Amino acid sequence: MAEPSVSGTSIPRLDGPAKVMGRAKYALDLDIPGAAHGVAVRADRAHARIIGVDASKAEALPGVIAVVTAASVAPIDVRFGHISRDHPALAVDKVRYAGEPVALVVAETRRAAEKAARLVRVTYEDLPAVIDAEDALADGAPLLHEVHPGRTGDEGFHNTGADALEGNLCAANLIEWGDLEAELAAADVVVEGEYRYPMLYGYAMEPYNATALFEEGTLTVYTTAQHPYMVRDDLARMFALPLARVRVVVPYVGGGYGTKSYTKVEPLAALGAYATGRPVRVALSVEEAIFTTRSDGAVIRARSAFKSDGTLLARDFDIVMNSGAYSDNSPLVCAKLAARAFGPYRLNALRVRCRSAFTNTTPASSLRGFGAPQGNLAGELQMDEAADRLGIDARELRLLNVVRPGEEILPGKRGIDADLAADLELLTESLGWGEREGVGFGLAASDAGAHPTSTALVRIHGDGSASCAIGATELGQGSRTVLSQILADGLGLPFEKVSIVQSDTGVVAYERTTGASRTTTLVGRSLLAACDDARRRIRELAAEYAADVQDAPGGVVADGEHLSYGAVIRKWFGSGGEVVGVGAIRRHGEFEKLPPFWEIGASGVAVSVDEETGRVVVEQLTTVGDVGFAINPLLVHGQDLGAATMTLGAALSEELVYDGTTLSNPNVVEYRVPRVSDMPAKIDQILAERRDGIGPFGAKGGGEGAGNTIGAAVAAAVGRLLGRYPRELPLTPERVWRLAQEAAPDRETEAVRG
Amino acid sequence: MQILSDFQLHRPASLDEAVQLRSELGDGAALYAGGTELLLALKMGVLEYEHLIDVKRIPGLNAIEVQGAALRIGATATHRDIETSPLVAEHVPALSKLARHVANVRVRAAGTLAGNLAFGEPHADPAALLVALGATVELLSSGGRRSLPVEQFAVGAYETELGEDELIEAVVVPLPTAQTRATYLKFQVLERPTVGVAAVARDGDAPTVVVGAVDEKPVRIEASDGVEDYVNAARDAVDPVDDLSGSAEYKRHLTGVIVRRALEALAA
Repeated sequence: MAEPSVSGTSIPRLDGPAKVMGRAKYALDLDIPGAAHGVAVRADRAHARIIGVDASKAEALPGVIAVVTAASVAPIDVRFGHISRDHPALAVDKVRYAGEPVALVVAETRRAAEKAARLVRVTYEDLPAVIDAEDALADGAPLLHEVHPGRTGDEGFHNTGADALEGNLCAANLIEWGDLEAELAAADVVVEGEYRYPMLYGYAMEPYNATALFEEGTLTVYTTAQHPYMVRDDLARMFALPLARVRVVVPYVGGGYGTKSYTKVEPLAALGAYATGRPVRVALSVEEAIFTTRSDGAVIRARSAFKSDGTLLARDFDIVMNSGAYSDNSPLVCAKLAARAFGPYRLNALRVRCRSAFTNTTPASSLRGFGAPQGNLAGELQMDEAADRLGIDARELRLLNVVRPGEEILPGKRGIDADLAADLELLTESLGWGEREGVGFGLAASDAGAHPTSTALVRIHGDGSASCAIGATELGQGSRTVLSQILADGLGLPFEKVSIVQSDTGVVAYERTTGASRTTTLVGRSLLAACDDARRRIRELAAEYAADVQDAPGGVVADGEHLSYGAVIRKWFGSGGEVVGVGAIRRHGEFEKLPPFWEIGASGVAVSVDEETGRVVVEQLTTVGDVGFAINPLLVHGQDLGAATMTLGAALSEELVYDGTTLSNPNVVEYRVPRVSDMPAKIDQILAERRDGIGPFGAKGGGEGAGNTIGAAVAAAVGRLLGRYPRELPLTPERVWRLAQEAAPDRETEAVRG
Repeated sequence: MQILSDFQLHRPASLDEAVQLRSELGDGAALYAGGTELLLALKMGVLEYEHLIDVKRIPGLNAIEVQGAALRIGATATHRDIETSPLVAEHVPALSKLARHVANVRVRAAGTLAGNLAFGEPHADPAALLVALGATVELLSSGGRRSLPVEQFAVGAYETELGEDELIEAVVVPLPTAQTRATYLKFQVLERPTVGVAAVARDGDAPTVVVGAVDEKPVRIEASDGVEDYVNAARDAVDPVDDLSGSAEYKRHLTGVIVRRALEALAA
C-alpha cells in the first residue's frame, strides 16, 4: 500500500464539536416514545437468603406499572455472563452483595419508580458474608455460589482456569517455566515482598443506562456499552432469541475505560420491557453505578532473584484477586494479571499463580490496563528495590534484563514488537533521571488486542465517496476519527469524502469487542481488507469495459484513462448503485500468534513529598507512546495522558473502602478521583514511531499502556525520597506519613554511617 | 437515589414573610438558600422535610456591607460573593482567601456562608476563622432579634443553636484593626478539609488559634507560650475520629503540623 497521507496527521476529532457544544446525543438523550422508567430495588446487606418480596405498597402507588422480580418473569433464566453465566439480573433466592438488584420497579415516571422502589419490602435471612479475598479462599469460608457456575465455552476465554474451580474460586491461572527453586538457590539477591493494589471504581462521567423494547419480535436496546455484540449475545441467551432478533445500538458513550465492557444494565431494561410490553429505560446514578462494577483489587506476593551482576534469574508471584460476587470479566483479568505481572524481562524461571476469589462485594471486571497495573506494582517495584540492593542504577538494571525486539516474554507467544530499551532511554532522559530527586519510572508489556476477530463493511457510493460500518464503539478515544483516516488512505480518498458508521448490531459489521486497545490495530486491518475488497470489485466492474485496469488513488486507470470510483459505478449500473467490500481478520496467518500485538507501557513521574503531612505532589509526568505509527498523534497523546492520569488516581487517592460489609465511599464525593488541579505542572508526551506494529502502516494500540507503570512509578519515586519503598496503593497522606515515620530511623542510621 | 421526595416550596418575598413561615411551619420546614448541603441530604433520604422556605429571593438579604466597626454579610451571600467582594478583600482578607478555597466553584456559586453555619457540617472551612475573628450571627424570629457568637452557635455535628422558628439574618465580623494579622490554613485531600486552622493575632497579643474540621465543632486552643506550646496544646485539645481522611492518630499529628504552619505564616 502507498504511504498514507491522511493517517499520521492530527486531524481534529469528528465528535469534538458536538460533545463540547452539548449537542451530542448519548443513550440517555434518546427520546423513545412511550418509554417507562425502571428503578432497581437493591439489597441492603451483603449476603442473605431472600424470604419474600412484598411489592403490594409499591404496586398501589399511582403510575406504577409493575414490580418485576426473577420469579415474576419465569421461565426466563435471568442469568447472564459472557465467561460464566452466573450473574442474575435480578437476584434469585439470595443476594450476594450489598447493592445487588432484587426487583425492578417499572413506572410511568422516574419519580414514581423511585418512590415505589422505596416501598418494596424484601425480607431476608442473613448469611455469613466474606469481604476479604484471602478469607474467601480459606477453608470454611461462606460459599457464594453453592453450585459452581462453570463456563459458557467461548473460545476467547479458554485460558481462564475453568478446571478445578471449587469453593469461592472464580478463576485460577498458572504460568510456569524453568527450575524456580534452582534459580532461587543460585541467586545472590532475592527481593521479596507483599504488595496491595486497591479496588477501584472506574469513574465515567456517564453512568450506566439502557432503554429496551420488544417490537416485531425483535429486542432492541439502546445502551452505553463498549461491546454491543457481546451484549447482544448475552441478551439472545437470556430471551432465547436468534442473534438476528436482538439489536443493540450504542450512540455516543460518556467514557468507558473497560467499565462498560460486557453486559451491565441491559438485562434489567430488557426484563422490564419483557414484563410490561413497554419500552423501559433504566438509568443509574453514579452511586448505583458504583454498585454495578468495580475493578479487581489484588494482593501480590512476589520474589525476584538476581545475580550480583544484575542478571534477573527468576520471578515468583502468588496473587489473590478480590473479584466480587459474580464472574463478569474477572477470569480474563486473572489470566491477564498473571501474564502482565513479571514484566518484559528475560527469565530463566518463572512461576505466577493467580487466583480470583468470589467475595460478597460489588462484582469486579475490566478496568483500563486489565490486571497490568496490579501486577506491575509488584514487578517494577522489585526491579527498583533490587537495583538499590545490588548497587546498580535502576535504569541500567532494566536495560540489562529487558527483552530486545523479537524476543519472547511468554514462550510460544508473539515476540516483542517494540524496542523497550530505546523507550526507556527516552523516558528517563525526559524525567532527568540521575539529575534530580524523586523520580520513578517503569516498563510494561501487555498482551493486548484480545481475540483477533474483526469484520468491516465498506461501501463506495455512486459519487465516489465511501462509508464504512463497523462494530467498534466510539468511547471518546477518537476511534471514529482514526478509522476515517485509515479509510481515506485505504481508498485514496480525501478525509472529507469518507465516513464511519458505528455500533448498531442491526446495521454494522461484527466486532468482537472494543477493548484491549485493539480498535486502531485490528479494526484498522479489517477495514483495510474491506477497502482492498471494494477496490477489487471496482476493478472487476471496470474490466468489463477496459482491457487494462490498474489501481489508482480514488479510482482506477482503465486503458490509460483515470476513472473515479463514482465513474466506474455509474457506468456499470447505468443509474445509481454502489460497490460493497467486506473485510475480515481472524486468528489466522499473520494473526495466528497471540497476542496480535504487545501494548507497551513506558511512563514515569517526578514527585515531591511533604513528609510532615504525607502529601505527594506529582511535579512531572512523562509518557512514551510506543504505538508503531501514530495515525493521529494528538489522539495518541490524549489516550496516553488519560491512561496515566487515571492511574495517578489509583496511585494517590482512589480506593473503594469497606468497613465491615459496608462500602464506606459509594459516591464521588468520598471516592476521590483526580482533578484538573492535581495535574502535574509539567507533562512531557513523547511518541516512539518505529512502524513495528501489525496494524495499519505499522501501527499498534495504545490507550492503556501509559497508565500501567504509573502506580509503581509513583511508589518508586516516593520510596526514593523517603528511603523506603511503599508496597500499597493508594499513597494517601496518612500512608506516606507513616512510611516516612518508619523510614526515619533507617535514614538517621545512614546519615551517621555516611 | 437521584430524585427528591415531595415537598412544598415557599418563596417569601420579605424577611417578615420568611419569619412568619418559620413560626408557622416549625420543624417541618427547612430553610433553603444555596442548597448545596440540604438538597444532597434530601436526595439521599438522610433528611426529609415537607416544606422548604426558599430565602434566596428576599431582596437585599445577600448584601455585604460595612456597618460601623463590623462587616455584615447577609444570609444569602454566597461564598463566591464573599470571594469576589472588594469590601471583604479590603477589611478581612483572610476571609476572602478562605472563601476562594471553599469546595469548588459550583458550590461557591450557590452555597452561602450562613447556610454553611446553619447546616453545621463539621468538616467545613468557615466556622474556625469566624470563631477566631470573634464573629457573631444575627438571628431573627417572630419574637425578635438576637445575636450569638459563632462559637456558641455551633453546638456539634449538624447541630446549632438555630431555633426552629429562627433564621440567620446576617453573619457579622468585627473589623480587625490595621495591626491585626489573620490566616486560615487547611489540609485537604477529599471533598472536605481534614484539618483547618485559623490564627488571628490582634495588636501584638498572643494569637487566637482555632482548629476546625477535626472535631464536631471548632476547637479554641488555649496556649500562650510560643508556637510549640500551641502545637502541643492543639494536639491535646482535639478529639479526632477515624474516617476516610485518616486515623485519629494521624489527624492529631496533622493538627499539630497545620497549627505550626499557620502560626509561622502569621509571623512571616
